[in-house]
Amino acid sequence: MPSDELFATEEQVIAAAQALLADGRFADKDDGKLYEELLKDYQKLLRTTRRLMRLSDRNEEQLNALSNEQKEANALIAQKNKELDALATKLSKYLSPQIYHSIFTGAQNVEIASNRKKLTIFFSDIMNFTETTDKLESEDLTNLLNRYLTEMTNIALEHGATIDKYIGDAIMVFFGDPQSKGVKEDARACVRMAIAMLRRLDELHAEWLELGAAEPFHLRMGINTGYVTVGNFGGDERMDYTIIGSCVNATARLEFHAETDGILIGHETYALVKDEVDAEEREPIKVKGFAEPLRCYKVLGLYDDLVGEGSVIREDRDGFKVLLDLKKHDRANAAEALEAIVDRLKKSP
Amino acid sequence: MRDTLNIEQTSRTPAVVFDFDNNHLKISGESYPEDVTEFYRPVFNALDTYLGALGEGPCRFDFELIYLNSSSAKAVMMLMDKLEDAAKNGASVDVYWFYDKEDDTMQELGEEFGEDLENAKFHLEKMAD
Repeated sequence: MPSDELFATEEQVIAAAQALLADGRFADKDDGKLYEELLKDYQKLLRTTRRLMRLSDRNEEQLNALSNEQKEANALIAQKNKELDALATKLSKYLSPQIYHSIFTGAQNVEIASNRKKLTIFFSDIMNFTETTDKLESEDLTNLLNRYLTEMTNIALEHGATIDKYIGDAIMVFFGDPQSKGVKEDARACVRMAIAMLRRLDELHAEWLELGAAEPFHLRMGINTGYVTVGNFGGDERMDYTIIGSCVNATARLEFHAETDGILIGHETYALVKDEVDAEEREPIKVKGFAEPLRCYKVLGLYDDLVGEGSVIREDRDGFKVLLDLKKHDRANAAEALEAIVDRLKKSP
Repeated sequence: MRDTLNIEQTSRTPAVVFDFDNNHLKISGESYPEDVTEFYRPVFNALDTYLGALGEGPCRFDFELIYLNSSSAKAVMMLMDKLEDAAKNGASVDVYWFYDKEDDTMQELGEEFGEDLENAKFHLEKMAD
């Protein structure tokens, strides 16, 4: 409705008042003057009302326009966020979940930086991978390798590992960064992971033979604990979150010297896990950069599992620990030794 | 010497600079105060005192507003009335209304305010870039 129509009644009042003044119907001049003043004020008030109404309408219009712009901008932002989320999800597959999480939550900066930490490092490799898969078609090889890496990755993540990299069929992971449960627990988690991987490998053998692999795959695994430099290495345009140091090289050597489907661990790892893991010492190995040959141990299993199998008797209480490996000790000798302890206990005051 | 009224600009209220010694008064910025009467009361009081003593002297008032709500528009009209009354009583009053060249609303509002002034001289000008 046009403004003139909206104020038609007020305009009629003004027209009537003006006609009244023009007719000279005021006998008293002062009354006429007062009426004229009143009319003038009424006209001004009407002008003000119209002006304010117009201003108010325009402000509201601008506000609505801004609100619509804001809505469109919000929709655009939501769309872009969705696209970014999808992209981030794709990119996350190229990163270890812990690294991805620490970057995306802002806990870690994407910059060339590093620090020194005590980590437990793990290397695994499929023995004779190239020869074993030589007769496979490329598609079958891809499926087979991806299936293997997926299974191993799932186990690694379940145990809290940070996936460093895949090098063909080789896997390199570490424990203790960016999240750590303490050096001891990190080392234990790493050994538990390696044992779980070997078990899964057994289950995968049948599947692989069906796919056409000439013979089952076998693994070698190496584990070592020590100080390394961990962080982003590379250039501003392309960097890797990884670890470097002599301890890393030593782990690779431990893996190389491991037996078929065996886990070879360094001395420091052994010291951290020996309460939980049964292992036997092997010939020390020479590693470039180390003055002395490295002491190493072959993992035989978890005591918890060995107890279940009946090959180990274990009693572990506060201040009282008994571990009897029946593969290493004759039952009669062990019983004799324990009886001697019981006798001493009975005789002591 | 008369005091200068100086109110700093906020996100909701305009800057007020009344330089009484140089007879130059100015309001600039945006005006949508939470309480219009509370904000404009000291402005009205200062202007009343100043204009009461102005006699036939000169006075320049600059309005340089970017946005104002309806209540502020009423307050601006009241300021205009006071200036118009002073001019009617013999003062030489110049009212400048500056508007953003891309803001038709403020330009038209200025034109309408100007139409109400019979004795004060009204100047409608674009703001400098």
